[in-house]
Order: sequence, then C-alpha cells, then structure tokens
Amino acid sequence: MSRLLCADFAKLKKNRFFWLCIIGMIGFGLFMKIMEYITMQQYSGETPSLDSMLSVYSMVIGFLTAAFVSLFVGTEYSDGTIRNKIIIGHSRASIYFSNLITCSAAGFFMCLAYLLPALAAGIPLCGIKTADFQYLAGMVLCSFIMTLAFTSLCTLVGMLCQNKAMTAVITILSVCLLFVASVYISAKLNEPETYPEISTFADGGSVIDARDVPNPGYVRGTQRQIYEFLDEFLPTGQSVILTRGDQDAFFLLMSAYSAGITAVAAGIGIFIFRKRDIK
Amino acid sequence: MEHILTAESLGKQYGHFKALDGFSIHVPKGSIYGFVGKNGAGKTTLIRLICGLQEPTSGSYTLYGAKNTDPGIAKCRRRMGAVVETPSIYLDMTAEDNLKEQYRIIGLPSFDDIPELLRLVGLENTGKKKAKNFSLGMKQRLGIAIALAGSPDFLILDEPVNGLDPQGIIEMRELILKLNRERQITFLISSHILDELSRLATHYGFIDSGHMVKEMSAKELDSACRKCIRVQVSDIRALTRVLDEMGIEYNIFSDTMADIFAKVNISKLTLALAEQECDVISLTEREESLESFYVNLIGGGNRNE
Repeated sequence: MSRLLCADFAKLKKNRFFWLCIIGMIGFGLFMKIMEYITMQQYSGETPSLDSMLSVYSMVIGFLTAAFVSLFVGTEYSDGTIRNKIIIGHSRASIYFSNLITCSAAGFFMCLAYLLPALAAGIPLCGIKTADFQYLAGMVLCSFIMTLAFTSLCTLVGMLCQNKAMTAVITILSVCLLFVASVYISAKLNEPETYPEISTFADGGSVIDARDVPNPGYVRGTQRQIYEFLDEFLPTGQSVILTRGDQDAFFLLMSAYSAGITAVAAGIGIFIFRKRDIK
Repeated sequence: MEHILTAESLGKQYGHFKALDGFSIHVPKGSIYGFVGKNGAGKTTLIRLICGLQEPTSGSYTLYGAKNTDPGIAKCRRRMGAVVETPSIYLDMTAEDNLKEQYRIIGLPSFDDIPELLRLVGLENTGKKKAKNFSLGMKQRLGIAIALAGSPDFLILDEPVNGLDPQGIIEMRELILKLNRERQITFLISSHILDELSRLATHYGFIDSGHMVKEMSAKELDSACRKCIRVQVSDIRALTRVLDEMGIEYNIFSDTMADIFAKVNISKLTLALAEQECDVISLTEREESLESFYVNLIGGGNRNE
C-alpha cells in the first residue's frame, strides 16, 4: 500500500482544487480572526479570546471534503486510472485505504490551513493567555475526527459510484441536507423551556402582570433524547456544535461517534468495493 | 506450446444477460493473438475478467499458470499491462507525469526509463502539454506507454485502433510489431477491424455471443482463405479423377462444385474433362478475405437476434 500512498500523495500535490481549498481556508482563517478583533475593538473595546472563532472552519469543512473527495476519487473512475492500479495487482482493500488516507490527510491539511493562520493572527492580537487550552485541544481533536468521518462517508460514495458527476451531486447534496437538518435540530434543542407571558400593562407602559409559560416549541421526552443523540452523532450536527463554540460540548463522545462512523463507512466501503464490477 | 493465458468454461453474467458462456481461449507465448468478434460479443468482458476488474460468474482462467482463484494471481498481473476500452490516463497531467504516477504505483525506484518509453511510443516531444490536449492517437500511445511501464511480457489491447486516422493506425501497427519482435511481448488484441488485425496477428480467436467459435493460427487461416478457382461441373467424379491425375489439390463441397488450389491451365483442364464427358458449367477465381471467413464462421444474418 505504501506505493499507492506515494502515488496518491504525489497526485494530491498536483491537485489544483486541493490548493484552491488550502488558499481559501488560509484566507478564511485570517479574515475571521482579524475581523472579530476589529469588530470587538470597535463596539466594546474588548479583546476577544484566542480560541473564539477558531472552530468556524467546522462549518465549511464538510462541504469542502465532499467536493474534494468526489473530484479526487471520481477522477480515478472518469479517467479510468483506477484500472491501472487493479491491473498491476494491487488489492482492492489497499486501493480503498490509500484513497481514504489521502483524502483524510487532505481534509486535515484544510483544517490546519484555517487553524494555523488564525492562530498566527490571533496570538499577537488577542494574546496567548486568553486561550482556554483544554477547550482548544478538545475542539481540534473533535473537529479532526469529524473531518475523518466526513471523508470516510464521501470516500464510500466516491468509491462505489463510478460516475464522477453523480458522486459530486450525492456527496454535496447529502452534506447540504444533513447540515440543514442539523441546524433545525440545534434550533429546536436551543428553544427555551418557558417564555414570559405579559398579560397586563400599566398606563405608563410598565409590566404589571407577567408569568412564565411553557414553550410549546420546546422538545421533550424521547423526541428530545433522539434530537440530542442526532445532534452529537451526525458529523453535520457536530460541525454546528463546534461552530457555535459550545464550551460544554461532549468532545470525547462526539469524537467516539465520528470514529465509529469512520470505521463503519470504511468497512462497508471495502466490503462492497471488493465485490464490485469495474468497467 | 506454452500458453500465457488459458480459460475453460468461463462465464460472466450481468443480471440475466450472459456476456460469456462456456468460453475458452488459449493465448500462446510470444504470439499476437487477434481476438475477433462483433460489438457485444464479449471481447471486453473477457479482458475485464483477465485484468481483475471483474470476477467470473463460473469457470476459470489461468494467467502464467496461476488460476484466477489463486492468491498469487495478483503477482502474475504485475507481468502484464492492459489498455481496456479507453486509455487509462490522468487528463490533467503531462505524458511524463502520467508515467511517473504509474511508476510510483508499480513501485519502480527510478524514473530514468521514462524518456526512453516516451521515445518508444513517439511522445518524446510533448513537453508540458497535458494529456487532455492530446489527439486520440497520442492518448492511445500514452495508454500503451503506461501499460508498458514495468516491462510487462503480456499486453492486452482492447480495440487499439478504434477512432484512429490512417496514419495513427499505421503507427500503432508498427509499434505493436516492434514490441512483439524486439521485446518478445505477447499481445492479446481485441478488434472488429479485421483487415487491420490480419496484418498483425499470428493467432486468432473468433468469439460470438460469449462463445469461442474457433481458435486458429494465422497459417491455418491463410490456408482457409487462400486463392482458389471455384469450378462447377456436370460430373464431380470426373473432375476428381482429372484433378487426381494432374496432382492438383482441391476441395469438394457439393455434388457439382469444388475449389481448386493451384494455377491450372484452363484449356487443358477443360479438354481433359471433355474427354470424361464432363461439362464445365462455370469457373470463377476467388480469394476469401478474413472478413468473409469471419462472416461465414459467425453467420452474418443474426446481428439483431
């Protein structure tokens, strides 16, 4: 498999879309951190903490990996070059793993392309002491494993669907739909349990009678448990949590979910790919 | 005779459609094996099976003596190269980068051979031009160069001259002959352009509806297709007597008709037959082409069945 990895990484080095994503992420990281600092200075005169806005890349990494993997793996089918690897005697499992590892590495590089410039801009602006390193470590670990889950799912689609355009449509559309679903779930979970109901106003407009009433939009019971599970289980749900900068998020649990998704997707992918007829 | 590839009772089914059914093939070492069949006969399916792109539904094949179910078949495949349907090349890379990529896949430690390989296929002057800007012939030649990386001794080419202009066809033919003669590479070439194949092949296999109809050497095919005089007479026995007396090779295929495989003096033959009270009804010179041989073998009327 080392020969395949060597070939795939050489291909990655020459991949224009990958470099475009890297440049985009560098610009995005610098922009977010610098703009946050400028805005805070303008409106409150405060200095933001180093770790705020560092996790925003989680929102876009799913879309980027979906587009990148569908192009990177899809090219193997559209150009027919996957045949060269099989004809020369490489096992299907090693071909699959090589693609998964290369795409995952590309995903990590994209994350780092946001994180490192954002940190480089943030340290002189915000100071290193403002950072919550425990949160930072948990967030980075969780976002990296979440990226791995995204890559594993997209590689599964890319390796099993022999049409590049179809792969791109399926992966990008799936990420979009799951993202919308996760935003909806997150919004539902963040609904307050009660809200104040104002029934009487004095002549001067001051509130005389107000009381808390239950919020009908608040999700309760089993439905809430399911929503909470999906929020933490789905990679898009995790990306919403990470983007929100939730300090109390269960990073280890979410990482475990992502690791599970990665392993199951890779297992299913290799099992089917080994039996798949290639044209 | 040593065979590089053999198959017995090989079958491949897609749903209810049998692409290969009880198929057999024997490709001798050092040969250029012309694999002939019309579109949809099963040529590409066989190539996909041999290349490991697909698994047979039934039967088996051996490559360099290793059975397809043998784990060692992967090692044997390192000794072969193939261009299946379209050339497998990265379109956004140059010819050199494509070869470098293939060298990495194979695990070759040095790129020193690449200029020679490019020269061999006539792509040494392509420079920074990307493969997507190549002509079809150049893409085919790059596909062959990639298949040649790692110095295989068995090359499978699926319709290598499809879509090429006359110059491209000549260049492809010369390249195949050169590789066969100079590097002793065995070729399995599938094609339905029979005229082109007849200029190359040393052995033939005719496939129809997933079956191998006939395998023969070019020598056998030449004798089957050789020039002859087809004669129609009133008394076939008289004709055989006369031809036997003259020591001429012939083949009788009906009560009144025979093929004579020699240049005969027509006057002498007619006079000799007249002495035996046998009339010559018609005389035609004929030469069966590979096409007509193929059509007779396969049967031309079942195209849409």
